[in-house]
Amino acid sequence: MKLLQIQIRREFWEHRALWVAPVAVAATLLLLIAVFGHHTQLAQVQFDADKVPPVFVILLFGWAMVLYLTAAILISIYLLDCLYSERRDRSILFWKSLPVSDTRTVLIKFLVGFVIVPLGTFLLAALTGALAAGILSLRGAFTLHHELPLWNTLEWLRVEGFMLYGLIAALLWYAPYATYLMLASAWARRWPSAWAIIPPVLLAIFEYMILGTHYISRLARRSLGDLSHLAFRTSVEGAQNLGDAASQPAASGASHMMNQSIDPSGLLASPQLWLGLAAAALMLVLTIRLRRYRDDS
Amino acid sequence: MTTIIEAKALSKRYGSLVALDQVSFNIQSGRIVGLIGRNGAGKTTALKAILGLTSHAGSVSVFGLDPSRERNALMKDVCFIADTAVLPRWLRVDNAIDYVEGVHPRFQRARAQEFLSHTDIRQHSRIGELSKGMVTQLHLALILAIDARLLVLDEPTIGLDLVYRRQFYDTLLNDYFDQERTILLTTHQVEEVENLLTDVLFVDRGHIVLDSSVEAIAERYVQVNVAADKLEAARALHPFYERQIFGRPTMLFENQPPAALSGLGELRTPGIADLFVAKMQTEAA
Repeated sequence: MKLLQIQIRREFWEHRALWVAPVAVAATLLLLIAVFGHHTQLAQVQFDADKVPPVFVILLFGWAMVLYLTAAILISIYLLDCLYSERRDRSILFWKSLPVSDTRTVLIKFLVGFVIVPLGTFLLAALTGALAAGILSLRGAFTLHHELPLWNTLEWLRVEGFMLYGLIAALLWYAPYATYLMLASAWARRWPSAWAIIPPVLLAIFEYMILGTHYISRLARRSLGDLSHLAFRTSVEGAQNLGDAASQPAASGASHMMNQSIDPSGLLASPQLWLGLAAAALMLVLTIRLRRYRDDS
Repeated sequence: MTTIIEAKALSKRYGSLVALDQVSFNIQSGRIVGLIGRNGAGKTTALKAILGLTSHAGSVSVFGLDPSRERNALMKDVCFIADTAVLPRWLRVDNAIDYVEGVHPRFQRARAQEFLSHTDIRQHSRIGELSKGMVTQLHLALILAIDARLLVLDEPTIGLDLVYRRQFYDTLLNDYFDQERTILLTTHQVEEVENLLTDVLFVDRGHIVLDSSVEAIAERYVQVNVAADKLEAARALHPFYERQIFGRPTMLFENQPPAALSGLGELRTPGIADLFVAKMQTEAA
């Protein structure tokens, strides 16, 4: 346990932005809301009791999306850099002088980029989103004399449950992307980002020029649309309903409807998911072998 | 004394370049062995094979383990400093200590801190802020605090000034080395280590040209500062190397009884540096 803990801490020592940037973004947004919150529409409209939940849900969603987007960028940079930087500065010779296996090293980096940072961002978004609603409510109550707080505990739990499911679905769906970035990081002598982008693009272009087909690009493209079709029931309608729910008095609550649309069996029954996970596992194995046997230090 | 490293017919190519060619050697415990050669002679490749860091033909065994397949187990008993300045610049000194303590079962924190207390290195400094000499001191502090049986050093003092180099080797001898431990080091600055070594392996273009203990060198090689009138007599005994020092010929003899040489001039045991240069030039000829 101590070994696991110190290895995870080591990753955050090297890539401090992984935790500093999401916390800084959340703190900045909270500060902006605290200072300028009374200028937002949310604070100026006097809500009806039945409109509080949908507005609250939209706030939580928007809040989380900003943080998830920040984290997605940071994680991509981290995964591309994590096995390249140690070769660039030759510190790999120091790390390899200690009794830690290459398998373990690579898996820890995967764990940090793929599990710890996403789940940490989820927790950060859930807590600071609630805090943002609290600050807006307080501002409304003190400066605009609103009576209703922008808060509904049941909605909060539902939204966060929905988002956790969405996050896990997205992680499983995008696992091959994550391991591909790690493979590029372990492979590249320089410019790992170019190695991550150029080969698949070239392959897809050659395939189209020579065969006139699109298999590679279809295989590589794991669109968000596909994911929402697989992981959620009728997601387009769901989104429209969510929009309607926000503008209309919604007795059941927008989040309730979202939770109704959760469809893990659809995702788990999808061959695309399992093919992607198999590709991810294969790329992890290749990454481990590259770190183990590569001799260019 | 037991054999801890056994290399048999070790070969390694990088494309058309032969870095090691059928090299075999043994290293015993409790020795300080210098792997000495010119740049590109194959020293680092040999060390990489011993540390399981490169693929190769032939076999290597260290403490009875195969370094390629059993690296993790091996790294509990072996420490190495590969070149200098491979500690990452972003790491803080106290974090470096925390990390090694966390991952190495035989690391003694107090020992590392005791060693660092004699230096100007501050615990909260980032490694990037330290001078090259301080980085080497830190690396040495981390490594010496590990109770390892074999220490492998690859050009450990390259780029350091004389004071740091001297301190480095003094620390190694006084604070680390004992009869249970073995040090294997490569260098091309032979003068720096010649008083330290118990054994030498000279490597030239992928071959071992001398594998000997320092005591055996004294028995096997004699350096003669030949008197001017004995020049022909000395050459008749087939010195393998000859050079002029201040106009006076100096010759190196191998396996010649001292009695045969005593009348030729002043006899002494050649230094490792002199012997190395002689061997390299003889091999090149």
